[in-house]
Amino acid sequence: MKRVADSWGMLLRFPDMCLGVLDNAFDRCRIRPLKDAPIAAFLLLPALVVLGAFGLLPLGYSAYMSLFGGKWGMGDFVGLGNYAEAIGSRAFWGSFLVTAYYAAGTIPLTMAFSFTIAYLLFHVARGRSFFRTVYFLPYVTSAVAAAMVWRGIFNPQFGIVNALLTRWGIEPLDWLLEPRSILALITGREALVSVGPSLALCGVMLFEIWHGSGFMIVIFLAGLSAIPRELEEAARIDGAGPFQVVRKVTLPLLSPTIFFLAIVSVIKSFQAFNSVFALTGDGHGPLDTTQNVTVYIYSQFYEFHRWGYGTAVAALLCLAIMTLTVVQWRFVGRKVHYE
Amino acid sequence: MRHAARAVLTLTLVMGAVGCGGRSQTSDASGTPASGARPAFTPVDETAAVFWDRQTTETAELLRTLVDDYNAGRPQDLLPVKLEHVGGYTDIFRKVSASIQARALPAMAVGYQSMTSEYVQAGAVVALDAFVQDPAVGFAPEDLGDFFPVVLETNRYSDFDNAMYSFPFCKSALMMFFNKKVLADAGIEAPPVTWEEFFAQCRQVKEKTGKHAYAVSVDCSTIDGFVYSMGGDVIDGQTTLFDQIASVRVFELFEALAKEELAYQISPGTYDDETALAHNEIAFMFRSSSARTSIQMLMEGDDDRWGMTRIPQADPANPRTVLYGPNICVFNTTPEQQRAAWAFIKYFTSAETGVKWALGTGYLPIRKSAAKDPQMQAFWDEWAYNRAAFDCLEFAKSEPTVAGWQEVRLLVEKAQTEVLTGIKSARQAVLDLKHKADAVLAQQ
Amino acid sequence: MRRVLPYVLLGVGTLVVTFPFVWMITTAFKTQTEATMSTLNLWPSVWQWRNFAETFRAAPFARYFFNSFLVAFTVTAAVIVTSLMAGYAFARLEFPGSRILFGLVLATMMIPFEVTLIPNFVLIRRLDWYNAYPALIVPWCANAFSIFLMRQAFLSLPSDYFDAAKVDGCGHLRFLARIAAPLVKPMVVTVGLFAFLGSYNSLLWPLVVTSEEAMRVVQVGLTVFSGAEGVRLHLLMCASAIVILPTVALYFAAQRYFLEGSIGAGIKG
Repeated sequence: MKRVADSWGMLLRFPDMCLGVLDNAFDRCRIRPLKDAPIAAFLLLPALVVLGAFGLLPLGYSAYMSLFGGKWGMGDFVGLGNYAEAIGSRAFWGSFLVTAYYAAGTIPLTMAFSFTIAYLLFHVARGRSFFRTVYFLPYVTSAVAAAMVWRGIFNPQFGIVNALLTRWGIEPLDWLLEPRSILALITGREALVSVGPSLALCGVMLFEIWHGSGFMIVIFLAGLSAIPRELEEAARIDGAGPFQVVRKVTLPLLSPTIFFLAIVSVIKSFQAFNSVFALTGDGHGPLDTTQNVTVYIYSQFYEFHRWGYGTAVAALLCLAIMTLTVVQWRFVGRKVHYE
Repeated sequence: MRHAARAVLTLTLVMGAVGCGGRSQTSDASGTPASGARPAFTPVDETAAVFWDRQTTETAELLRTLVDDYNAGRPQDLLPVKLEHVGGYTDIFRKVSASIQARALPAMAVGYQSMTSEYVQAGAVVALDAFVQDPAVGFAPEDLGDFFPVVLETNRYSDFDNAMYSFPFCKSALMMFFNKKVLADAGIEAPPVTWEEFFAQCRQVKEKTGKHAYAVSVDCSTIDGFVYSMGGDVIDGQTTLFDQIASVRVFELFEALAKEELAYQISPGTYDDETALAHNEIAFMFRSSSARTSIQMLMEGDDDRWGMTRIPQADPANPRTVLYGPNICVFNTTPEQQRAAWAFIKYFTSAETGVKWALGTGYLPIRKSAAKDPQMQAFWDEWAYNRAAFDCLEFAKSEPTVAGWQEVRLLVEKAQTEVLTGIKSARQAVLDLKHKADAVLAQQ
Repeated sequence: MRRVLPYVLLGVGTLVVTFPFVWMITTAFKTQTEATMSTLNLWPSVWQWRNFAETFRAAPFARYFFNSFLVAFTVTAAVIVTSLMAGYAFARLEFPGSRILFGLVLATMMIPFEVTLIPNFVLIRRLDWYNAYPALIVPWCANAFSIFLMRQAFLSLPSDYFDAAKVDGCGHLRFLARIAAPLVKPMVVTVGLFAFLGSYNSLLWPLVVTSEEAMRVVQVGLTVFSGAEGVRLHLLMCASAIVILPTVALYFAAQRYFLEGSIGAGIKG
């Protein structure tokens, strides 16, 4: 009996021993200028193999394809011609503007909403798991099924939104079918029709705030749970009000999480596709007012088969995201508080 | 993060170099389409002729039965056919696109002309003329004459020597659907025959019932059909005819319908118009004749409440409508696969199978002899409107197959939206459309 | 007042957030005609239980569920391992080129999936993985987002732990496996959850790399309710509700980990 227990114990310790042996081996091959390189190589290998093959390889391939004209990427070598065409194209800049509106409209609101909810969820005592599941529901649903429901809600004739508006004596709206900008609708001036995001785009943004907040709430919750409670307690004992505690203690300690979310949500919103596509039926929306850069790329790829041009636009998008990331890293990253 | 930029740049150069090596083997494939020297694509399945399709629910079941029947009775030297559901048209298109790049294709796939014409440019589909005319496996002249000319005509590609790169699969015509109850409530006995009557009835519906008369699904094919029925055409060679009187009248019709709030627009990609018709919310909608089954389901069998008939005309003595629906194309794989695909297409478009398919799905039989089929006649006798779409085959007209038409379609739909939302006047929208569409076609 | 206010806020939010779901579920019990009409009539006039039978008849969902779970759980396990390892390396190890490598990892996030679809498909073909599980699993076994998230988690751990471990003569691998990984458990659960959801909810990729019925996943199953001539909305909602059920259950099971303040535990243990 004892022997069984012994061998069981051996078995349990076995992985640990292996790790120890590996650690020692890596320690031995530690060469000064390389620092931790051998062990880093070991730790990074699996991720880099996958990302290299299915992330970087296609990235390079696309960059290469962007230098060719014609359809199917089979045309002549045009150098940077596709890039020049994109920069001279009004449709391209229009789609860029849509992307910018979308990012500016969704990120801050989703973040504020998600933080509030996550903070409340973290601090209520009862029904915590119920509420937490409820607020995560939108995110677990696939965008396609959820968009189906939302199209029904926004339906100008039979949707609940217009029904409520009518009940409150407000003129019903065309929602996802309305190409006019919200500025024009609010001021009632036709001259502003194409200034600012269209109502259709705002509808898509509302959907995205609803759908994307579940994602942020989870990350905020994980971040909040990593903050030592004592610090908040201490601040409270020092006489700080709830808002002051949040501002002076919680938010600074949460800054790595916020920083992460800021970077990731910029990238995500610049690549938004599924929700736009599912909600408008074709991505373009009324008079192309929901056509963001990704939809534009998609349409060049799969509607017009101009692969070279499409990948050139994708490269420009990539460049824009990278610039934004660098800027955030430089100016925001510096303020992030790590332990 | 500055490093990221530098890293990507380095990587791009490396990949570029790698890509150059890889590209040389495919670059010989970029010659003119249909040149015989091009290497064929490998089949996705060596042991069967795979057919990529998009049918769902009952129609998918029927198609599966037909494929099984075919496989059971096929000559043993031919590969069996294997049906694979590949999602919607866009999914099929993406999958074929990726497969062309990977140089492995199924034996055949369903698709619209615009899709096929893109495959042709990649050298991925074979022209079927040789099969059609082949004395052993083709159609005898009188057999070929049994097809309505227009269904064959839609499969000829004017950009590629007028060759037949696909064969009819699910054909339907643009029809007018009407709700009898709403019309009766407005005091209207019969659906309109001319466009003037149509507009007058729309007004009457609004006036008497307060309802919108027509739910508009923004769609280029519908516009094409309307233009045809106004006695016009949309294209002449490489120039569009959107500034001509027929097209102007179509857009002015939409302008007037929107201005007087007789019509509203539905979300693209939805079937809200079918729903509204079934719930007595509108009087008219315009859809493909194959929408019949789905409306029948929504009406819950109440066939006295609705009907379908040909669309209104400028000249009822000389009617026109648009013919559409997907076709099958055969890919440029091995001769064995191509033979098997063609044998199946021939079986599928035979008079007998054609009737089964039409009766089970609501698509149109594509042969004239179907009119003499007792089962078909029994079906037509069941309900007064069952024959209406078939009668349109005599005068239905196909849509353009020129390169760049896909882009023009989007422009047309944009123009229609501009008019419906009142952002542009019909005249202005039509002029802008003509200008942009011609520029697109000139670029090709 | 201060006690009640959070509940009031959360309650109002709940109504807004769940309305689409209530609608989805009640629609799943309506007839087609009833389902298509309006978002106002929430309740079905007669509860159509046979919709469930019809849904399961439309496609082999049992097989689809099996595939979805197999693929999603494998991907989840793999993503947790790869991102723990890589995240730790980027956060706590010093080696030449670390910043360039991290930049490259982030770069893979920046190109839209729609563009990489074709080169990736070509690669799958070359590897002869078409219609096989590796095609559904391997490309998703590591992602920049998870690595980034783990890196941030390791960075926010107090550095005292690392110094203490070094003094104890504990190597990196043992430290990672025995101390660091348990400390970042909430993030591990988060990464796992998103990996699972990402895999479970993906549609386009499985559609492109498989064609055999036996290899299909649940999201592909949902496409059978949208035909060329109409949508079976009631069945689609029924199937969607069934399909999201496992993810809700999984989240419900996982969410308690978000609350375990594990920092204190690390010091004590």
